[in-house]
Amino acid sequence: MHPDDFKAFQDTGTADQSDLITTKVEAIFGIRTGSMGFLVPTTSYCEVLDKIQVNMLPNVHHWVSGMLNLRGNLVPVFDLRVVLEEAVVDNKKRRLFAIDRGDKAVALWIDGLPEITDRASLQPLQKLPVLPELLQHFVIGGYQLNGQVWLDVKLSDLFKALGHHQYSMEEV
Amino acid sequence: MNTPQTVTETIIDCDPVIVIEQLADQSAHQGYYGLQDASLILAEAVRELQLSQEADLVPMVSDWSDLVARFQFDPRSTAKEILRYLRRPELKIPMEDDEFDMLEQQLISDANDACNAKNANDDPDRHLIGQHIVIIEQLADQAADENLYGLQDANLLLAEALRSAAESSTITDIDFPVIFAEWAEITASYRTTPSISAAAIINFLRYPGLKIPMDDEEFSMLQEQLTTELSADELISARDHSLDLEPLISQDSQTIGNDLPGPVSRVALELVDLLLLQTEQVRSHLQHIVIDDKESLLTGLQQASDALERFANAAKTAGFEGLGQIGVHINVNMQRFTEHLDSFTSAHLELLLEWLGQVQEYLPVFNESSAGQLIVAGLTDEQWALPLAFEELAAILLQIRSESSAISDHSEVVRVTFATDDDVSIALPEDVNQELLELLLQEMPVYTRQFSEAMQHLQSGGNAKDVEVAQRVAHTLKGSANTVGIKGIAVLTHHLEDILSACANEQKLPGRALANSLITAADCLENMSEALCASSPPPNDAKNVLQDILDWANRIDQEGLADSQDKEIPADIQSGVNNKVETDDKPETVQSSMVRVPTEQIESLFRLSGESIILNSQAQETVRLMKNQLRTMQLQFELLHQLGAELEQLIDLKDFSGRTLGAVGSGLDALEMDQYNELHTASRRMAEAAIDAREISLDLNKELEKMHEVLDAQQRSVIDAQEVVMQTRLVSIATIAPRLQRSFRQTCRMTGKHSELTLMGENIMIDGDTLNALIDPMMHLLRNAIDHGIESEEERLAQGKSNNGKVVFEFDREGNYILVRCRDDGRGLDYAAIRAAAEKKGMLQPGQDISEDELKRYILQPNFSSRSFSTHTSGRGVGMDVVRAQIVNMGGTLTLDSVQGGGMTIELRVPLPLSMTYALLTHVGAYQVAIANKSIHQIIHSGEGQVVVQDDKEVLLLEGNSYPAARLINLLHVDDHRSRYPGPYAAALLVKNDDQTTAVLIDAITDSQEVVIKSLGYYMGKIPGYIGATILGDGTVTPVLDISELLRAPIRAVAHVYAEPLAIVESVSLLPTILVVDDSLSQRRSLEQLLMDAGYRVLLARDGIEAAEILAHANPDIVLTDLEMPRMNGIELAAHIRTQQKYKRLPILMITSRTTQKHRQMAETAGVDLYFSKPVRDEELLMKMQDLLNLAVIKTCEVA
Repeated sequence: MHPDDFKAFQDTGTADQSDLITTKVEAIFGIRTGSMGFLVPTTSYCEVLDKIQVNMLPNVHHWVSGMLNLRGNLVPVFDLRVVLEEAVVDNKKRRLFAIDRGDKAVALWIDGLPEITDRASLQPLQKLPVLPELLQHFVIGGYQLNGQVWLDVKLSDLFKALGHHQYSMEEV
Repeated sequence: MNTPQTVTETIIDCDPVIVIEQLADQSAHQGYYGLQDASLILAEAVRELQLSQEADLVPMVSDWSDLVARFQFDPRSTAKEILRYLRRPELKIPMEDDEFDMLEQQLISDANDACNAKNANDDPDRHLIGQHIVIIEQLADQAADENLYGLQDANLLLAEALRSAAESSTITDIDFPVIFAEWAEITASYRTTPSISAAAIINFLRYPGLKIPMDDEEFSMLQEQLTTELSADELISARDHSLDLEPLISQDSQTIGNDLPGPVSRVALELVDLLLLQTEQVRSHLQHIVIDDKESLLTGLQQASDALERFANAAKTAGFEGLGQIGVHINVNMQRFTEHLDSFTSAHLELLLEWLGQVQEYLPVFNESSAGQLIVAGLTDEQWALPLAFEELAAILLQIRSESSAISDHSEVVRVTFATDDDVSIALPEDVNQELLELLLQEMPVYTRQFSEAMQHLQSGGNAKDVEVAQRVAHTLKGSANTVGIKGIAVLTHHLEDILSACANEQKLPGRALANSLITAADCLENMSEALCASSPPPNDAKNVLQDILDWANRIDQEGLADSQDKEIPADIQSGVNNKVETDDKPETVQSSMVRVPTEQIESLFRLSGESIILNSQAQETVRLMKNQLRTMQLQFELLHQLGAELEQLIDLKDFSGRTLGAVGSGLDALEMDQYNELHTASRRMAEAAIDAREISLDLNKELEKMHEVLDAQQRSVIDAQEVVMQTRLVSIATIAPRLQRSFRQTCRMTGKHSELTLMGENIMIDGDTLNALIDPMMHLLRNAIDHGIESEEERLAQGKSNNGKVVFEFDREGNYILVRCRDDGRGLDYAAIRAAAEKKGMLQPGQDISEDELKRYILQPNFSSRSFSTHTSGRGVGMDVVRAQIVNMGGTLTLDSVQGGGMTIELRVPLPLSMTYALLTHVGAYQVAIANKSIHQIIHSGEGQVVVQDDKEVLLLEGNSYPAARLINLLHVDDHRSRYPGPYAAALLVKNDDQTTAVLIDAITDSQEVVIKSLGYYMGKIPGYIGATILGDGTVTPVLDISELLRAPIRAVAHVYAEPLAIVESVSLLPTILVVDDSLSQRRSLEQLLMDAGYRVLLARDGIEAAEILAHANPDIVLTDLEMPRMNGIELAAHIRTQQKYKRLPILMITSRTTQKHRQMAETAGVDLYFSKPVRDEELLMKMQDLLNLAVIKTCEVA
């Protein structure tokens, strides 16, 4: 690795230096939603879901697309494009990407298919792009590769925040 | 080896590093290589410290030499102290946790080796072994007499094995005295705790050294026999006939490690050790004296005098009456010295130290005839302020001689005076037998509850039967705890049993003060039990409780029960607790065999059973569709059959008309002979095929009916299975009763009020999660009832009420709801005060006409308090609004009922989670939803009633009644409604909500069916009005709604298709927040529960670094920290906090075991507001903390 690259990691403070030195190849999933890419550890159980019905729920946040029935488990579906405050597109052209299993399973709308990348090949960003406030809390690092920005996000915390519903106290 | 005394003197003159290295060499010489390593590590650290000149090394090294000296006598416990010492942050030893662990292992290994070497050197008396074997055979005979053949077999097996071992060369592999002592204990406890002891007996016999020739199956059979043959009825009688094995144990103990001239019991040796430890304390105070410094001299003499007084008392209690008398005499001299400090010289100090040296020489050889001379030599010296007269000296010497043999022969356990941390430790031994532990964990909660109940009966009167029950339970617990090796429980129950035995022997019931102490001990036992089951932290006041029990036990030993009863009635316990459980009439809980299963497994079972129900529903649906299709097919077959018949007729008619298709030129008329052609054949075949198809469809229909029946049966079976799984999630409300009682008593003590808590209906079983969520609101209600409701004793008497207030918690189940009623007979709501507070806050105009019902609602408003001052218990800005918010969050309701001067009743009504429900399916705009039928009173179809607008609000007029109406579409804020039903509504649901009935208007009911409710998953939070979701027969997911909750829960107000995230303040964040920083998990958990029960929100951090990270984004109201922690200690944390402007006034409270002035000063300098030395009483901590919080508020107001 080039010494400058190492310095860049130090500057952003986003990567563990010891990992950087000792790890040779660390595969990682990359999923694209709108203009952004998100990194998902390959240690997580992931699958692409095709032709599966998403059932809408009334009175929930607009980034909750609904729930789907994944082999008898109820799985919430989140739309990160809405979180990114980008224009909503036709979901028929998108795919669903499920992370984890059982009670903790979550599905996300993705554009295209997931990619597998070597983490070491990603170039750390000196400065993160401007992100919506909700997302800012959970981003722990940013990288780029061939012009695509990849965000390293604390996914579990983000999903918890997306699923936490808050309502006005006004009663009907 | 150097004694600690000489080492300390050497340290002052010599290089500490050299001294420590010498200690290392000595350790290596003795074979303690772990200790050698530890010393060398310390020497290295001290060398570094010398260079930086950071610490005073003399006391540090002196402590180390003490530890090294003690390691030889008590290696196991000293090993832990050595590790604690090396982990001191000021030593800055650069070692990781695993390295420390390895060192500890080495130290323990040294200890084991030393023990083995000692055992190997012993030369067991074969004659004595023979006697033991004979006794074991007698035990076998006795067991046979009692029909305990399993026990007889076990004894005979052991006797045989020991005889073989004694005759063979393997004799040195077996530690006979230890084996006999253990066996005696186990078999004695078998009669009281058969299940635990049966396992212990088998475990004992399986010891490879015994070489008992039995396989696993045979051992299992023997264990089963042992477990089953002792029935409950036989338990009590068997106990009375158990053989007294105490002499055997004491005889054995004489052979263990005894190198004294005469026989000395193990107990006596322990006493000697204890007294030696105390002389060291006196010595330590004296050695810190600087003669020229008056202050140091005064402090040193006073501290030494106090320590000497304790020593003298302990000596007397232990039976060293003569030594005690001399101690008192020396103490009088010391007080004289204190009064005349100017004349105190180094010679006097030398005199005192010399006498201490004599005591230290005397104690190890106290049973020698001439030993007494050691401690009286020099007491007649004129240098003493009060020399001992010769006559007195002679009398004391005589007494010492007479008592020395009595002490050494002491076969009974002489009670200790002071409780130590080790005595209350509930840590499991390293080699704990998991099987025994599992059994104990099952039995303990039952026994501790029985003990508590007996104690509560005694406190409110009670009789001899309660004493007997409590004594039996204490005895059983002691036996079980000893078998498993949990010292804390064994020690406490041992002393409790003694006290209760004294009560039983003298046929007296404990007085009020003793009963209070006993009930506190019962609480402590329950706490220990809960801690072992990992459902709560270990009690942090256990040492105080044990000390109290020890004081009572010692007092009873010396003065008897009657005298002790009248003495010293503690004033701080005035509450009483009464569980209205008819325990007398209730048969004793029968212990069935149990299995501990992880919660996740139960959850998985529950999920799978739900899956089965859903799959069954899908199969049922498919069958239903198939039957419908079959019915249609049958109609088609009928039609086909009919058409076939018509075709046949047509063909026949054509034949008659003479236009035959075949048989041309046969010469016969059509009437003379039927003439058939292909058309006939084809039509007949078609008609027959139609009939066959109909027959087949009928058969198929029968098969489908059968399948339907099978699916019905399967559905019933899977529903039953799910209910059974549900049962495993249910817990009795009584499980939290002890926690409520403890909190209640604590609040009573803090407020100084006299009251009584009664629990009713606590045996109801409810879902564990719901119960956990109810604890917080219930604690709030309890504290409020005592603090705000119950009046002071004087006030109550003046109002003609009894001096004891009454608080009742009543639990009930109503349909799918759990009702919790908290009733008190206190002052009730003060409506005038509420009005005044509301007027002050501008919520009400002065003089405005308002009903009491409306006034009541004000106290449910956030931050509304009618009090102008705060108290230690409930005056924290937390009121009924928080309780209400918590209950509403659970989908429940809260109602108040108050009679001024007569008391208040608060009713909580909380829904229980459902697994299945009957639901109506409907559409709301583009969404399909299922509405649970709970709280739906009636379904009204369109046309049965009329919706009209009155006062701008819709109402449903039905049979002369009018009901307020709400549209589901509005309740769910769905505004892109494209109704397929143009009418005002297709159906209305009459829903009972609180006291009124509301008509909920819906589009249509598309279906109704039984649905399985599933959770929305880990990441989806609570959505108001949702119970969960269900998977329908066609696989679609539909939310299941609770209409009554939807009617009353706060919901989105923004007119948009989707919900906007609107920030609301979470109820819990209204509570004052405490940041607890401690590296000990148990301490963190203990403080967390205490503070949460007291109504605080708690954040936890493991060390200073983690606390600093939390402080970066959270704003606690107070920080409660430990001193010694890894990475960043408490003092560094306090200093770090004070560097930040926003935390300049943040109260910091430190709790530590460090008691020295030096630590205290360091903490104060760093910015700690309050410094507590352990142990700390819970009430004291809470009070001081609230004072600090109040002070912080006042300061903030002043600054503002």
